Amino acid sequence: MSAGATDTAVGVKLVSHFATVEQQKRAAVLGMWAWLLTELLLFAGLFLTALILRILHPEAVQAAARHLKFWIGATNTVVLIGSSLTMSGAIQLSRLGWQRGMVRFMLATAALGTLFLVLKGYEYYADYHEHMMPFLSDRPYELKDSPPSRLFVNLYYVATSLHGLHLMTGITILLVMTRQASRPGFLSVHQNRIEIFGLYWHFIDLIWILAFPILYVVNR
Amino acid sequence: MTSGTITDGPALRDPHTPDSRIGHGADYLHAEHTLRSWFFTTDHKRIALLYLASITAFFVIGAVTAGLVRLALVVPDGQVFTNDTYNKLFTIHGVVMVWFFLIPSIPATFGNFLIPLMIGARDLAFPKLNLASWYVFMTGALFTLASVVLGGVDTGWTFYTPLSTAFSNTWVVPALIGVTIVGFSSILTGLNFVVTIHTMRAPGMTWFRLPIFVWTHYATSLIFLLATPVITVALILLIAERAFHIGVFDPAYGGDPVLFQHLFWFYSHPAVYIMVLPGMGVISEIVPAFAQKKLFGYKFVAYAAIGLASVTFFVWGHHMFVNGQSDFASVAFSVLSFAVAVPSAVKVYNWTATIHKGSLKLDTPMLYAMGYIGLFVLGGLTGLYLATLAINQHVHATYFVVAHFHYIMVGGTVLAFLGGLHFWWPKITGRMYIEAWGRISAFLIFIGFNVTFFPQFILGYLGMPRRYHVYPPEFQFLNILSSAGSTILAVGYLFPMVYLVYSIWFGKRAPANPWDAKGLEWTVPSPPPAHNFLTEPVAPKVPYDYPLQARETGRQHS
Ligand code: HEM
Ligand SMILES: [Cu+2]
Repeated sequence: MSAGATDTAVGVKLVSHFATVEQQKRAAVLGMWAWLLTELLLFAGLFLTALILRILHPEAVQAAARHLKFWIGATNTVVLIGSSLTMSGAIQLSRLGWQRGMVRFMLATAALGTLFLVLKGYEYYADYHEHMMPFLSDRPYELKDSPPSRLFVNLYYVATSLHGLHLMTGITILLVMTRQASRPGFLSVHQNRIEIFGLYWHFIDLIWILAFPILYVVNR
Repeated sequence: MTSGTITDGPALRDPHTPDSRIGHGADYLHAEHTLRSWFFTTDHKRIALLYLASITAFFVIGAVTAGLVRLALVVPDGQVFTNDTYNKLFTIHGVVMVWFFLIPSIPATFGNFLIPLMIGARDLAFPKLNLASWYVFMTGALFTLASVVLGGVDTGWTFYTPLSTAFSNTWVVPALIGVTIVGFSSILTGLNFVVTIHTMRAPGMTWFRLPIFVWTHYATSLIFLLATPVITVALILLIAERAFHIGVFDPAYGGDPVLFQHLFWFYSHPAVYIMVLPGMGVISEIVPAFAQKKLFGYKFVAYAAIGLASVTFFVWGHHMFVNGQSDFASVAFSVLSFAVAVPSAVKVYNWTATIHKGSLKLDTPMLYAMGYIGLFVLGGLTGLYLATLAINQHVHATYFVVAHFHYIMVGGTVLAFLGGLHFWWPKITGRMYIEAWGRISAFLIFIGFNVTFFPQFILGYLGMPRRYHVYPPEFQFLNILSSAGSTILAVGYLFPMVYLVYSIWFGKRAPANPWDAKGLEWTVPSPPPAHNFLTEPVAPKVPYDYPLQARETGRQHS
């Protein structure tokens, strides 16, 4: 855990119940992977149901899927992939000990995440106008005679808002961590936190990359 | 590394521990005394005790409601409680017993206490997360408990749609929120165990030197991680459906009520193994110790744990034989369910073979273990009946099912839990309980259990449906028998609560290893020091290195 060409030392401080720093890092990484696995399964249930619904009722689902705002979804895909890139940049710089640059990249990541949420919010708003929110009793659903399309749209809302919730959590953690990480000396004791958080951020991205084709694109 | 090096770290672990205490052999119970030191502890042993206290309280609530259910069933005309009250009572019973007792019981208490000790680690990988999962558990459990007690829920612990979404006008949503929260506690515990077992084993503690207890907890943790998210989705959808009528399960809105059953049982069948596998782990520790004989076929027992954890994901459809799923699916699920019997039988054969020609000591833990094996076999065999399509048509949703799952879950989990509690009590508290009382409790529970639940097999076979409190008078005799048995059972449960608590103050001091058992947890003083090991733990060359060897396995492992 020595420093490279850096402005601070980079490393991880040993917590007493571990024998070595290596062990401690291994545990942290494995812990995050295990968590991501359960998260993946959480979404998998929703995605699978949506896919099965598409297979059982192709026309109804396509009719509903055509109402989704493809271009917003596509832009958002690009935005999130961009945020994964900036996060990778932050991780790379944290390894080098370039704290300043790292903090900037982290802020950029948070900004892209926020942009995603803003676009998503606009999309929901447009849906609202088009009467595409079947669960609102005061705004009759556009495709009212098609229960499968209704179910599909509902799954869409559950899945995307769960994803949005993850993104909001991610942005919050990211901002808190950016604050901590801008204090001098952070990288010499907690460098691996940046890496572990990076895994989580890439995961949020991955979930969207799965959601986008399943909800917006498949036999559109 | 000796205890000397341990001293320079712990300040990080628990800032409230005065330095003078650390590394000087203060045991974990006496290292500190404040209330704070208990409720904010990160010591896995203390967290285990927090869980022990909480799940015992939940067990009492579950048992009292069971008693009321049995009381109502003494008379056939259903005059004791109203319909509504009866439904709410068995729901409280089922919800509390399954979600807040059975599922966390052994992993959260013994798993927490023993896994680090057994693998030679100073703590779990994430001590703070471990504490957090207790708080998550308590939050969810108390939330649900408040809603089932204050408002009441009448759906049973399975929350089946469309009753739970469209017809029941009870406090379903808050109850569900609590159960969802508790699920996260399971996930966090499972995650902590998996990471700990992977990364924190002492030098020399290879996978095939791990006690079976650790293996079964590893398998259980995988189920926690892989199955719990699915029930979380199911419950989230159920909540959304009820609160916003989003129409996932309600056919009127294009939903599918059977979808809920798929999601529910995809978790809840594996959950049966969350309950049973840790129990198997406990029995696999007790049996060799009281036969003083190496566990027969160690590797097979370990593989069987992983085998069970895998097969259990493919049999959920056996809960849905009569709900209109395709015949093909039913046949497939039936066959797969039979496959579960194979690894289960492996375990039973291996325990029996270990007992065979051992030098048996019939102390309390061993009595519980033998009772466990008996009940588990009967519960397992009747499971095969249920997995048989034709028989299932006849006994589905009758008391036959009730008897079956009580043999498996109460027989398989509660007896193992009590056996484990007696086995490790000296280690946990540093005190011995009074042996004679222990033996009496084991007998009472075994007899009470069989008198309570065996008649229910017959009742179910004769056609008494579950969840009704009005029944034809000709079933009364067997129902009275069952209720009488439950009284014996209740007395049996009271016994340990009294003499174990008594022993904390008045029991004889326990030596480090009262049973001549093998395993790292018996090499440290009773109760263990705050940081588990005073000297670097040395992993044994072979697991279960007891003086008597099974001839066959002697060759297998040397
Ligand atoms: C103290 C002795 C016990 C008695 C007398 C008893 C009695 C009963 C009865 C009569 C029912 C059926 C209610 C019905 O379907 O109408 C039932 C259901 C159930 N019991 Fe027990 N029980 C006891 C202990 C336990 C224990 C220790 C557990 C778990 C550890 C347990 C778990 C369950 C579950 C999961 C159900 C299903 C509830 C449902 O389907 O909603 N029981 N019990
Ligand atoms: Cu099952």
